Amino acid sequence: MARGILVLFLFICGVSAQNLVVKNAGRKVELNLVYSHLLVPYPSKIVQNQPQLVKYSGNAYPFLPYEVVSAKTVVTLSSNNIESYTKVKPVSVTDTSITYGPYENLPAFSEEEITVHYENNAPFLTVASLKRWIEISHWGGNIAVEEDVDVLHTGARLKGAFSRHEYQRGQSGPSSVASYRTFLPAAASSIYYRDDIGNISTSRTKILEDTVEVELTPRFPLFGGWKTKYKIGYNVPSYEYLYSRGDNFILQMRFIDHIFDEMVVDSAEVSVLLPEGAEDVEIVFPEYPGIEKKADSIFKTYLDTTGRKVITATKKNIVENHIQDFQVKYRLPSWRLIFEPLLIVVACYLMFLVIVIYVRLDFSISKDEAVEARMKAAGVLENVLSTQEKRDAIYTSLDAAIHTLKSSKDVNGFQSALKNINADHKNLAQSLGDQVSRLRSLGVPDLADKILDLQKLDKTLKDIVGQQVSLAERLVGNKIAKGNYVTEDATLGKKREELLERIHSIIGSL
Amino acid sequence: MPATVESGSAVKNSLFNPSGWRSLLIFTVLALTCIAGFSSRLFAVIRFESIIHEFDPWFNYRSTAYMVKHGFYNFLNWFDERAWYPLGRIVGGTVYPGLMVTSGSIHYVLSLLNIHVHIRDICVFLAPIFSGLTALSTYFLTKELWTPGAGLFAASFICIVPGYISRSVAGSYDNEGIAIFALMFTYYLWVKSVKTGSLFWAASTALSYFYMVSAWGGYVFIINLIPLHVFVLLVLGRYSARLYTAYSTFYILGTILSMQIPFVGFQPVRTSEHMAAAGVFALINAVALLKFLQSYMTKAEFRHFVLIGSSVAAGTVFVAVVGLTYAGIIAPWSGRFYSLWDTGYAKIHIPIIASVSEHQPTTWFSFFFDLHILAAVFPVGIWYCIKNINDERVFIVLYAVSATYFAGVMVRLMLTLTPVVCVLSAIGFSQLFELYLRDDESDKNKESGVDSEDENSDEHNHKMYDKVCGFIFHEYFFFLRQPGKLRKMKHEKLKDGTGGGAAGSLGVNLRSIVVVAMLMMLMMFAVHCTWVTSNAYSSPSIVLATYSNEGSRYILDDFREAYFWLSQNTAEDATIMSWWDYGYQIAGMGNRTTLVDNNTWNNSHIALVGKAMSSNESAAYDIMMNLGVDYVLVIFGGAIGYSGDDINKFLWMVRIAEGEHPKDIREADYFTERGEFRIDAEGSPTLLNCLMYKLSYYKFAEMPGDYRSPRGYDRTRNAVIGNPDISLTYLEEAYTTEHWLVRIYRFVLVLNFLSTLSLTVVENYFSVKKEEDFNRPEILRSDVQLKLPRVSSKKVSLGYATMKRKKGSIKNRPVVVKGKRPAVRTVKA
Repeated sequence: MARGILVLFLFICGVSAQNLVVKNAGRKVELNLVYSHLLVPYPSKIVQNQPQLVKYSGNAYPFLPYEVVSAKTVVTLSSNNIESYTKVKPVSVTDTSITYGPYENLPAFSEEEITVHYENNAPFLTVASLKRWIEISHWGGNIAVEEDVDVLHTGARLKGAFSRHEYQRGQSGPSSVASYRTFLPAAASSIYYRDDIGNISTSRTKILEDTVEVELTPRFPLFGGWKTKYKIGYNVPSYEYLYSRGDNFILQMRFIDHIFDEMVVDSAEVSVLLPEGAEDVEIVFPEYPGIEKKADSIFKTYLDTTGRKVITATKKNIVENHIQDFQVKYRLPSWRLIFEPLLIVVACYLMFLVIVIYVRLDFSISKDEAVEARMKAAGVLENVLSTQEKRDAIYTSLDAAIHTLKSSKDVNGFQSALKNINADHKNLAQSLGDQVSRLRSLGVPDLADKILDLQKLDKTLKDIVGQQVSLAERLVGNKIAKGNYVTEDATLGKKREELLERIHSIIGSL
Repeated sequence: MPATVESGSAVKNSLFNPSGWRSLLIFTVLALTCIAGFSSRLFAVIRFESIIHEFDPWFNYRSTAYMVKHGFYNFLNWFDERAWYPLGRIVGGTVYPGLMVTSGSIHYVLSLLNIHVHIRDICVFLAPIFSGLTALSTYFLTKELWTPGAGLFAASFICIVPGYISRSVAGSYDNEGIAIFALMFTYYLWVKSVKTGSLFWAASTALSYFYMVSAWGGYVFIINLIPLHVFVLLVLGRYSARLYTAYSTFYILGTILSMQIPFVGFQPVRTSEHMAAAGVFALINAVALLKFLQSYMTKAEFRHFVLIGSSVAAGTVFVAVVGLTYAGIIAPWSGRFYSLWDTGYAKIHIPIIASVSEHQPTTWFSFFFDLHILAAVFPVGIWYCIKNINDERVFIVLYAVSATYFAGVMVRLMLTLTPVVCVLSAIGFSQLFELYLRDDESDKNKESGVDSEDENSDEHNHKMYDKVCGFIFHEYFFFLRQPGKLRKMKHEKLKDGTGGGAAGSLGVNLRSIVVVAMLMMLMMFAVHCTWVTSNAYSSPSIVLATYSNEGSRYILDDFREAYFWLSQNTAEDATIMSWWDYGYQIAGMGNRTTLVDNNTWNNSHIALVGKAMSSNESAAYDIMMNLGVDYVLVIFGGAIGYSGDDINKFLWMVRIAEGEHPKDIREADYFTERGEFRIDAEGSPTLLNCLMYKLSYYKFAEMPGDYRSPRGYDRTRNAVIGNPDISLTYLEEAYTTEHWLVRIYRFVLVLNFLSTLSLTVVENYFSVKKEEDFNRPEILRSDVQLKLPRVSSKKVSLGYATMKRKKGSIKNRPVVVKGKRPAVRTVKA
């Protein structure tokens, strides 16, 4: 027994009690009591290389509401160096234990104080305060856990100087703590260990079969009275702890987790951060007394609008035996999952909309004629270019029509297609003519001239294409030999190529 | 069918629109520059962690955290009782708040959006983010001065140049990080306003200048350079209404705005550093008046008038300035200003300035180290600017000349030189490539199809460089080149003969050789920058890393170990005495009260600490008693061979202490008879028994050395210590870190001393139970009567001419420093 006091009562009740035992029939009841802060360092201050002595005060008899027929108290110590102990006869000392008793026929509530003063160099670490923060993310399928730990060495305080030299020789500071191990859940990943001023670089992680063992070395060894604090955090996948049926979820995980062996936590605060929009929240705490539920609060983080519900509970005086599961039940409608992506989509949409509006509309309060004219001209030019593109496309579709004609010999269909195409072409030529006059009115005659050239070239092009069309018609009507058609069509094609090149050079120079 | 035709054509249109391509390329290049600048500054974060570096950034971080927690007005009113104990420091009035306000407002905006980012992470990443903005403003400045192509070159230079990276790596949370952006942006706006003569741009310049004033003491550089520019333009006869509008708007608004910063206050009208701006303002108004009068007078009358008027005016101004200075209304030049003209000045008069390594004159080596090829190319840029001079190019030439001088005087001012070097060498490179990257065909086919040819030639180049350089660099260059080229086409049309003729006469082979050589050099530049950043400028310096022979890394985290020990295991109000270098870190990480810190505003206080460190233990005891010291912290590198420790800085402590207490401390006492500074058995007895020596080597001789070296072997100074049996009377070891790097001692009240104290103290001493602060020294400071030494509370003259935040006091009486110059210097980053 090193740290906490584990008192083990083994007693056979020989007296009648209404409900507990049947008269005269024996029943074995085992009672485990764990006390914290019962061992008092004595002396309370020691120098660096002095061993730590502690004083245990307790009762030699079992403190029971019954008459006791026979009782024996065994005090198991962590070392065989016993300074003194109260002698309540009969008492015997073996290597590391003191046995009081057996005592016969003790009355109820009998007391006899004993103190044992002995050497105990176990690490007297106490977690002064623990803040545990559990964050559930349905999107990431992740549960993030962060623990804020304030550790205090509650053993005998260090008196006088701390000598690094002595400490490095390894013969001093038997009660000091250089490092300790924390066991995290087996699925823990991305573990961090840091404090206010950054990462604590002295930690080692070992992945064991059923746990992740982290060896935490505080920045400095902890001597009596010294304290430190740190944050340790990790992620676990949610499928390990989060169970669901439809929209209903149950989170089941440890209320308090292991910090170090034989830990004592003076006060702990556990908060669970539920996803945004969780409803009908219900909590089932572990079945030990002392858990106090605090008022719920709201926490807002990334992309939150209404905020997430935080459930907080506190408990004082915790030891390892309190490591038990608790449950949080809640309902989360499934549409909630797409709410946040939707939010981003809407935000982006609005942003682009604003940009579009800003770019398209003129918000200047004064008018700059020159810029305006230039912009107008650019707009007209844009029109011209697109018209030209359309015209090119018309020629392509004409070619396609000729091709179908040649293969299907459907003259009527071709005629109607040709009619449409011709009408389109006429419209486009018409609109280009309009653009020319607009350009002239805007005061850029050189551009207008270029477009006039373009028109002229296009007219020639149209003629050539017209010839190609009539050629094809003649071919279909068998009025021309195939060989002749091919050569003539080729020469026309060549002319057309040249014209197209010229047209494109003009377009390029616009 | 019509529908498909329409949509297809629309896409085609925008793709083949050259101006669309150009802006896309410019956008891409600038975006890549920002990303490159940001990511190359992350070495320290990736190797170590997101942590504040070095010394000053810790103060900035601490005040930012204070501001975020307590609000802006409380920050302005913040009296920091944790610094300069027992004097305290009025932080709000002695700090440039721009940095804190910037990161504080970023934090505020993010928290409004529910994005929880720790203020530390914002502080760490602030400088890399601002390096992107600096690249953008450099692009705009260069674009105004030369061409967009040169602008892109400049942007990509400034984002990776070591001279700037040295002050802006992630974690280096210092004023310079944002100030260089403010500087370049102000210059861009100034050039723009001189070009346009628009009230809008001039007012923007003043606003940007206001941001600069709020961010860094280096604003003095702007308020002297812009008037210089105006003055030179006047002398060159380039006066114009544009210039008049720009300057008078800027000066009036800028002065009024800059006076809003509490730390600056009335300096813009009361110190000599700002008088040049006022003088030029008067001058340009006089010139404007003359120009106006000129239209009403005959030539002879006018000449007569100008002669008399100007001499009278000049005389009046001179007499007024001298008179005001004499009367004490205008402060004379500060000591730091003098040290800019005479590099030996500081060493004699202000040892505290001289003790900082970055205040030393620059070596040629650091020019190469920080600028590499740019140092060689930037005179080319100056030459081009002078050859094609106009109003704004006069400005960049003046900037280049003055910044080069200052960079030569002080290593630290390399920072202001770097941007102009980037701008000018970008101009140089841009011109060079314009000349050598021209294709023969493009000349021939100039009239028809310029664009298609242009693309062909780039395609051609593309293939050629691919063989020589790596693909990535080529891509980079391709992006860089493109806009410049497009620009060139216009340029070429404008003034045909000049450039075209020269290029036409060059052979293809010669051209490709030159181009390839230049590209190689640029590539080497990029490699050098990355190497320097990674090796020289990316160490947080509070976490040290060593590498074993197999390459595994070992982290020495002693500084944080000690500071965290202080914060956890000393009384809340414990006072720590250490050399001033560690003041900010103790306050930032340890959250404890310090006597002196990196602010160095009070020379005599620092000298007192120096005196305590250099006296013997009992003399030091008196000083520590008077100052109310609880703990003493020293840095000792002898156990692991860390060279920046207190023994290596020790001579500066002695020197500064001697400046104030020449009777008690004499530097010569710390040298051997042969004038050597030795810590071994031959060292001077004064040294071997002074407090610093004792605290550093206490119990060190008992530590077993490794098999190669004897016990008590100091690995930093390669000597066996001369005084192995050190015992301490008034101090006891409170904590020493794992590698002995930081040693903390507790001040112990000695009982026989109590007789000199009043009875109540003794009573209190025995009666008050000190359960809570068992670890603190056994004395109640509140009851001890502090015999404070006379500390000059008079504000020392504030000098900003040299762009530093710190002030030093000048002794009226020059103190001659005796003895040999030490080989080692205080390392102050």
